[in-house]
Parts: sequence; structure tokens; C-alpha cells
Amino acid sequence: MMIRRWSVVGVTLLTVLWLMGCGEGQPDREDDTLAVSQALGGDDMEGYARAVEPREFRFPQDHVAHPEYRNEWWYVTGNLDDAEGRRFGFQITFFRFALSPTPPESESTWATNQGWMAHLAVTDVNGDRHRALERFSRGAAGLAGAELDPFRVWLDDWELGAEAGNDFPWRLVAAEGDLALDLRLEPLKDKVFQGDRGLSQKSPEPGNASYYFSMTRLDTEGTLSLGGREYSVSGLSWMDREWSTSVLGESQVGWDWFSLQLDDGHDVMVYELRLEDGGVDPLSKGLWVEPDSQHQVIPHDAFELQVLRTWTSPAGSTYPVAWRLRLLEQERDLEIRAVREDQEMDLTVRYWEGAVDVFEAGEPAGRGFVEMTAY
Amino acid sequence: MTLLAKALIRDHRKRPWNILFSILGVALGVAIVVAVDIANSSASRAFEMSLETVTGRATHQVLGGPAGLDETLYAQLRRQGFRESAPVVEGHVQTRGETFTLLGLEPFAEAPFRDYADGIRGEGVSALVTDVDAVMLSARTAARLDLESGDRFTLSIRGREETVTLRSVLDTDEPGLDGIMLADIAHAQVLLQRLGQLDRIDLILPDDQALERLRTLLPEGAEVMATQSRNEATLQMSRAFHINLTAMSLLALLVGTFLIYNTMIFSVLRRRRLLATLRMQGMTGAELFRLVMTEALLVGLVGSVLGLLAGTLIGQFLLQMVTRTVSDMYFVLTVTELHLTLWVVLKGLLLGIAATLAAALGPAWEAARISPRDALSRSTLERGVGRLMPWLIGAGLILMGLGWILVQWPSQSLLLGFAALFLLILGYALLIPPALLMLARSLTGPMGATFGAVGRLSARGVSAGMSRAGPATAALALAVSATIGVGVMVESFRTTVDVWLGQTLQSDVYVSAPGRSGVGVNPTLPDDARSRVEALEAVETVSTARRVHVHSPQGTVEVMAVDPAPRTPEGYRYRAGDGATAWQALENQDAVLISEPLAWRLSLGLNDTLTLRTDRGPREFTIVGVVQEYGSDRGLVTVHRALYDRYWDDPGVASLGIYLRDGIALDPALEDIRAAVADLEAPVLVTASGEIREMSMDIFDRTFAITHILRLLTVGVAFIGILSALMALQMERSKENAVLRATGVTPGELGGMVALQSGLLGLAAGLLAMPLGLLMSQVLIEVINLRSFGWSMQHDVSPRVLMEGLWLALLAALLAGIYPGLRMARARPAEHLREE
Repeated sequence: MMIRRWSVVGVTLLTVLWLMGCGEGQPDREDDTLAVSQALGGDDMEGYARAVEPREFRFPQDHVAHPEYRNEWWYVTGNLDDAEGRRFGFQITFFRFALSPTPPESESTWATNQGWMAHLAVTDVNGDRHRALERFSRGAAGLAGAELDPFRVWLDDWELGAEAGNDFPWRLVAAEGDLALDLRLEPLKDKVFQGDRGLSQKSPEPGNASYYFSMTRLDTEGTLSLGGREYSVSGLSWMDREWSTSVLGESQVGWDWFSLQLDDGHDVMVYELRLEDGGVDPLSKGLWVEPDSQHQVIPHDAFELQVLRTWTSPAGSTYPVAWRLRLLEQERDLEIRAVREDQEMDLTVRYWEGAVDVFEAGEPAGRGFVEMTAY
Repeated sequence: MTLLAKALIRDHRKRPWNILFSILGVALGVAIVVAVDIANSSASRAFEMSLETVTGRATHQVLGGPAGLDETLYAQLRRQGFRESAPVVEGHVQTRGETFTLLGLEPFAEAPFRDYADGIRGEGVSALVTDVDAVMLSARTAARLDLESGDRFTLSIRGREETVTLRSVLDTDEPGLDGIMLADIAHAQVLLQRLGQLDRIDLILPDDQALERLRTLLPEGAEVMATQSRNEATLQMSRAFHINLTAMSLLALLVGTFLIYNTMIFSVLRRRRLLATLRMQGMTGAELFRLVMTEALLVGLVGSVLGLLAGTLIGQFLLQMVTRTVSDMYFVLTVTELHLTLWVVLKGLLLGIAATLAAALGPAWEAARISPRDALSRSTLERGVGRLMPWLIGAGLILMGLGWILVQWPSQSLLLGFAALFLLILGYALLIPPALLMLARSLTGPMGATFGAVGRLSARGVSAGMSRAGPATAALALAVSATIGVGVMVESFRTTVDVWLGQTLQSDVYVSAPGRSGVGVNPTLPDDARSRVEALEAVETVSTARRVHVHSPQGTVEVMAVDPAPRTPEGYRYRAGDGATAWQALENQDAVLISEPLAWRLSLGLNDTLTLRTDRGPREFTIVGVVQEYGSDRGLVTVHRALYDRYWDDPGVASLGIYLRDGIALDPALEDIRAAVADLEAPVLVTASGEIREMSMDIFDRTFAITHILRLLTVGVAFIGILSALMALQMERSKENAVLRATGVTPGELGGMVALQSGLLGLAAGLLAMPLGLLMSQVLIEVINLRSFGWSMQHDVSPRVLMEGLWLALLAALLAGIYPGLRMARARPAEHLREE
């Protein structure tokens, strides 16, 4: 996964500046596209580190920031239920983006070249609506950042951190208005390294790649408050960690990304990179994760994705909301349906990210999350 | 067009001067009022806009103690959910001869607050954050400073020079940004040497609940204030100054009104024959009344419009002076726009027209009463004027009595003070014609004895032409008395301040940190400055001072923490309290000294308590003395350094007062001191006390420069008045004069007579202006100034100011007499006689 975040971040960089300029400037589609291509144009990447070859991941250091790369994120999505069967989807993401390759030389604790953005969303499946919130901050003066001992990544009072030291269990705390999450996360599988040992190539040019690993199955429990009520919830989450300086090629406009946790213990990630001409980039791929964390890449020609149904958002974008996904090697034929259609993130950068159900042969077979951009 | 109007127009064509002077008089009066109005409102508006720009949509601000706010408070507040919050570091910087407010902002937190960043795109902001030398200006300001994006330029900050780069230009016309320079908060901290500190945190609070919750989170010494009340308090600072200017301008209008009355009554008198003829042709008195009023309306309208135009021009000039004064005294102000509102225009027009109509009422009534028979002689009118005298005396005395009662009225109202002043002036003005009459009558004999027949005729001419000489003299006397009154007040003030400076500047040499300003936290001296100075052989003792802003329930007050040298207490002059014991109390108890303006403003006296917000929370302090202090018109609280250190965590010292040993010469000592502090980490100023005294008086004089100009303008109005009156007087008398010529009076004698008459009027105006001037100065000092600022001052009447007034009156009158005099002398009697 990847680009998804990628270009969200690329866009973000510009839109934050936009935001600062306009207050409530809502970039339209053309601005998005422009921003993506600009972020990926390569002009302003000088001085940043590039993901050129596989690296040796080291922990806990790789849990925190790699400021020499331009973009980075901590991305958690999940499906939760309370004891009475009320169902929720949630997403929280901390994005880091460098404004320049090197930090300014200054004695001020406010001085930084790092900007942060965070998104928080909750889908009350049986309730009235989908909620999405965003925040921005500089990565200095204690306002936002990522650090060890104990591990934490935070923006103001939204925080993902270890309860002690740097290891799991981690705790996710985020609240705003009448919305609050307080979740405890414990991995059920090992980390899986995407692409070539964690080097995920996004377009053919060397360096247009990211370092990328995932924790595909996190046991999750805690409380979720919404509209003045507190729910005790539990379920499964998925976490992505990725950092890079440049990825997308010019003809890539957007993507559809799927993370699915199947009831039989398998996890599936696939994404399709959509091209300007309406086609799909052959670098699109996926990952098949066994219950024992063994995993293998799903190449572009080993899966088929077919849209079954679409939905048009109030903002005017038409998104797919039901799909058929066929994994040829695994011989699985999955039907994916959004738990509700309106899960558009109508924020500074507009995209659709939401909880889905997975069916196989008409029977419930799992749950997951889908992200779609540039519609 | 009626026959009537045609007749009038023909008449005006024949004698254009009369109506031109009327119009000029109205125009000048209106111009002064409008000019002051424009200058005042432009300055206030510019400041309001810059305040709005600086505070944006913040509903509240968290402010720190004297040393500012600990910067970590901001992250704490955000983590507590106060997310509509933005940290600010601000201070003053100079570049290219202008002072700017450097506003250090956190761009990521700005969206809810300040719109003007609209127009920033792409790289600009990111560079603002990441480049340590990046600043932004509005496009207008950049153009004004002749700077383009990417240009490097030098800032002067508290004596240091720093080079910055104009990283991007804000594409906005917002005039509020004219005096503002933007930087990232990190770089502003470094530029302003405010590491670890914030000046304030701006907040948008949804309700009182949030406010209460916020209060519980703030450390002692920090305070949350509603933005609006803070801005209003700042604007209030210069209020008294603006009111005083407005009053001066109204005085000019009052003088103008007399002038208008003067010209209108003359235009009626001069045309008595015409008006009487019109009556004979069947016109009613009411029609004549309307006619004169219509004419006045036209004069008022044309004069007011011209006055508006002239006022706008003069206003630009005054604005510079007002801006200068406000920047010297109150807050840094950049004004690039003239604020000409409909209201200012309407007010100017209305004042001009109303004053003209009011002045024309008497003449119009006079015109209405003209009977055909009156055309034969003017004596009826002068008899009428003669009958009027007792009424004038009565009304004048009543007005002055009312004014006197208002003066005595116990009140702090500045407006009431001005009302009293204007009543006194008006009442006195009504007494001038009777006084002039008496003077002229009593002078007939002596003048006859001195100058012969010419002298006698001159004196008689004045009393015979009272209907015009009266108001003209009153106008001149009023204008001159204003210069005397204001002159005496300024002189008294100046002497008082000078004496005070001499006394308060006890030390021989001062070492101070440059860059004290009303914004942000004031600079302190490097730590080792004191020890280095004390180590010098020439130095006997050293006192220290630190001036800071402290919050109190009554608003922000200035506090000066003094670590006294043995002689320091001698520098204080007590209006209340005992100097001998005060300093003991200051050191050992929770005691303070307050200055007169503060005592006046907050109605505080000896043994009252003053609550100040300390870093240990609010504390009450006993007032052990009220002292004279002219450095701050908002007032100053003096505390002992020991007390300051007990209650505030702000170890810095801003200035040292150095006492040299006996017999040490100043110049070599100055050099030694300069050498000792030369390589300190930050530059400091070393100034001899004499130099400080001079600089202070320079600022004083600059502050009152605008007052002098208004005085001169007022005299200008009066000059035109007396000129037109004299011309009228003389021209109307051309027949008489022709008869005189025909009976053997030489042109020289005739010219001399006009000169004598003018001189007589001038002398009368000058003499009559003196008592009024002194009365005005008394009211200005004891009432207006006291109510404006609370300062006491010694009444210092210098003969120079009085003599200047007298000369001014004489000169104006004689100058005004030149043209009519020449005309008279040149006129050939036959022509004038033939005109009959």
C-alpha cells in the first residue's frame, strides 16, 4: 500500500500550505491531480534520501521517524464490534512530511523542517453517519512527532504509543468533540515486509520506491465513544508503516487499495494503480499472508478486480462500493461490499476510505478496509 | 432667477473681496476641523486595523508576566483540547527608517485566526518555516520598501543588525499589514531573542465554560483576556491625546464662526442702501431674512466644500505629526492611508454650514429690520449695536459664570472640562465688543493728544463702527488668547517636565538595553554588564531599573523595579506620602509608589491598595506615595527590586544608573564605561544624563509641534477676519475719507489714520486676549490636562508668551490694515464723492 498514502502525503504537503493560505480552501479535483504530479515531479527531491535498495530494518528504531525521507506514515485501520453487535470501522493516520531536506540551524525549540498531519475517522455502521477529522502541526515544540522510550507517535492529544518501553501492546488514544477512541493493540502475526524485503517499487525509475512493512492482524479492544455514549469494543486492526521520498510515475492518477482480514486466518492486500488512460498500471500488486505470517507477493496478472456497484458522494465524486476480487493462484473468489456507502473523507484532501465486508460464495468470509483516491 | 438675486450677484461682482473672505473664513475653519478629524481617525483606524490584523479572529489571549509565557504552555493547552489556539512572539524591528511589528506565527495553527495569509501558495510557507532568515511582507509594504521576493535586507533589532530575506510577498491589499512583518515563530524567537518564551497565545473559545476550564490550566502569572477588551484598552491609551486635538480644532472653528459673523454682518451693512431699495420696491422683511440666510447657506456650502478639500491636504500633513507623536508616546503606528469617511465629510460640511448659518442669523435679522428710511443712514444700526451692549455684557457674564461653575464641578469628565472651557471662551468673547467700545472711547482723548485730529478720528472711527470692529476684534482676541493659553500651558508643562527630568535623572551616566517598546517583552542587559561597570574606578555606586508591563484588575500597568543607589530616593518628588520613610517601606513591605496619572486614572491615594498579578498570583500592595512622573501618561508603579524579585521571576535588569565618584570628569568616565561594555554579547547604550534630558525634551517638543501648528492656523483664520473687517470698515468709510481729503487731509495722514485704527484694534485684541489667554491656560492646566492625564504642573507664565500674543495681534492688525490704508491714500476724493 503505498501510493495511496503516498500521494495523500504529496497532496498534503501542498494542501497544508493551501490551508494556511485559505483557511477553508477545499482543493478541487484538478488541484489534487496537480499536487500529485508535482509531489512526484522529482524537482524538489534533491537532498532527500531515496529508497534505492532493500535495507536492514531495525527495531524499535524503525517504529519512529526517518526525517531524511520526504514522507512517512503510521496508518491504522480496523473493524470493531461491541457486545450488543453494534459495529464500527475506524481509521487513524499520522503523516509526516519534510518541508526541506535538512532542518534549519536554530536554537529555537520550534525550529523544524517537519510537518505533520493526522486523520481520524469512525464509521458507525448502524448509526447515522461517517465522521472524519483532520489536524496539522509542526513537528517541534512537543506538538507532534515520533519518539522512543517509550515509543509514541502523536499530534497534540491524538497518540499511538507503547504502554511501556517500545514493544506491544500499544495504545491508541484520540478524541475530539463527542468522538473518542481508546484502543489497545496486540499483534497476532509477525510484521510482513512488502515488495522486495520491504523495498516497494512504485514506478520503474530507481528510487521511486518506499520502505514498507505491515502488521496485518492486530487484536484490538477498548472503548469507543460517540454521540455521548461509550461502547466497549473489540475486533481486528491493520497497521502500515511506510516512508519514501518519491514514488509515482506521471501517468498514474490514483489507486484503489484493499486490506482484507479473512475469517480463515489469511490476510490479503491488493492495490490497483489507475492510469490516465483509464487502464491499470502493471506495477499494481498485492500480498497474501498465511495465518503463520508466511507471505507471498500477488503479481498484477494473478488477480482480477471487477466493480459491481458505484455511489456518488454529496461532493460529486462517484466511487465504486462493491467489487469482485479473484485471486487466481489462491483460487479465491471474494465479493467485497462497503458496510455503508458514505465513507468519503471530505477533508482537505478528499478520498474514500472505509470499512468493508467480504463474502465468499454468498457467505460472510471476512472484513477489511478499502481506500480510493482521485475519483 | 429673481431680480433680487440678480441685484445681489451684480453687487458681489462689483465687490468680490467681501464674499471671497467669507468663503475663505468658512473654508479655513472647516479645513482645520476636517484636517484634525482626518488625522485622528486615520491614525486610530490604522491602529485598529493593525490590531485586528495582529489579533485576527482570536476571542481571547493568554498573556504572561513580565518575562512572557513559558513556551511549553502552548503544547499543554493543545493537548488539553484547546486546539483553536496559536502561539505568538512579537516585537519591534526597524528597517529603512520604519518600525515594524515582527509577528512570529505558527503557520500550521493559523488557519482559524488570520486571513491575510490568503494568497500564499506552495513553496513560500515551507521556506518561511525552514529558512532561518525568511520573513514575509504584504505586497504593498514590499513595494513601499522597494523590496522584491528574494531580496536580502537588514533589520535593526534592539541595537543589533540581522540580515533577513524577503521570502515571499503576501498578495493582499490589507492596510492593517502595513506595519507588520511576518516570520515563523522559531525564527522570530531567535531574531527577538525570546528563546523559550511566547508573548501570547491566541485562542478562539466557544463559551464561558471553556474560559473557566482554561483559567484552571494557566500557571500563576499568566492571564487570559478577551481580545476585544485588550484592544480597546490599547486604543484608549491615546484617547486623551486625540480629544485634545479635536478640541483645538473646534476652537479654530469657533474663531471661524466669529469671522463668518463678521463678514456676514458686513455684507448686510454694506448693502443697506441696496436692501433698503429692495424694501422700497415692496420686498418684505421676511424675504430679506431668507435672502441673507440663503446667501449665507451658499457661502457656507462653498466654503465648507473648499474647506473639505483643503482639510484633506492639511490632514495628510497633520497625520504625519500625529503618527509621529503616537509612535513616540503610545504604540508603533504605520499609517499609509488617509481615512476619509462619509462621516468626516458630513461632519465638516454640517459644522461649516451650521456655523455660517448661526453666524448669519444676527445679520439676517438686521437685514429684515431695515426700513427704507434706514438707507439714509447707518447710525440706526450703530445705535442698535449700542443698545445691544448691555445684553452682550449680561450674556457674556452668564456664560462665563456657567463655565466657572462647570470648572468647579467635581468630575473626571474631559468633555465636561472642554464644555466649561468653551463656555468661558464664548462668554468672554461676548464681553469683547463692550470692552472695545470702552477702550476706544477712553482712548479718544489720549490719542487726540498724541496724534492730533487723526488720532481722535481713528479712535472715534472704531467706536462708530462697532458693528464690524466688535466681532473682528473678538475673533482676533480669541485666536490670540488661544495662542497665549496653549502657549502658557505648553510652556508650563515643558518647564515642569524639564525640572522633573533634572531631578529624576540623579545618576551621571545611564547604561541601558536598547529597544524598549510597547510590544512584547522589553530587553534586558547582558548579565555581566553591571559587574563590569561596578569594577571601574570612576564608578561610586550603581542603581538598576527594569520597566515591565504587569496585569492588574484595572488593566495593564507599567511597573518599574528599582534597585536604588543611596541617592536614588532624592530623585522623587512626592505629591502625597513621606519620602523619608517611603523607601524603607518599599524595600521591606508589600508597598509601592504610584505616579500621578495612575492615581488619577484609578482614583487611588495614599494607603490605598493596588492589586497586581504577580508570578505568585494576584497580590495587594499598599501605596506609600504618589509621585510626579511625566514619562508615562498612563501611569507608573515604582517598586523596590527586592519586592520585584520576591513576586516575579524575571531577574533581568534593563538599565543601570551610574554615580561617578566626586571629582571625576564626565567625558573620560563615559569613555571608560563604553570601553567596559563594548564587547558584551549584546549591544548596550551608554548615555550621559544630560543627553537623556535633551532627548526627552526633543520628544516633548515634537509632541507639541502639532499644537503649535494648530495655534498658527487659528491665528491665520483670525488674520483673515481682521483683514476683511478692516477692509470693510475702510472701504465703507471711503466717502467720509473723501470728504476728509477734500477738506485738506493729506493721503499720508489718511493712510496713517487707517494704520492707527488698525493698530488700535490690534492692540485692543492683544490686550483683551491676555486675561482670556491666562484663564484658558489655567483651565487647560488645572482641568483639561489633569482630566486627560492626571499630571500636575506648575503654572509658569512667561512674559515672552504674553508679548508674543500682543505682537501677533498688532502685526495681524497692521498687516491687515496695509491694503485698505494704501487704497485710502491713493484714492482720489473726487471719484468717491462722485460715486454718491
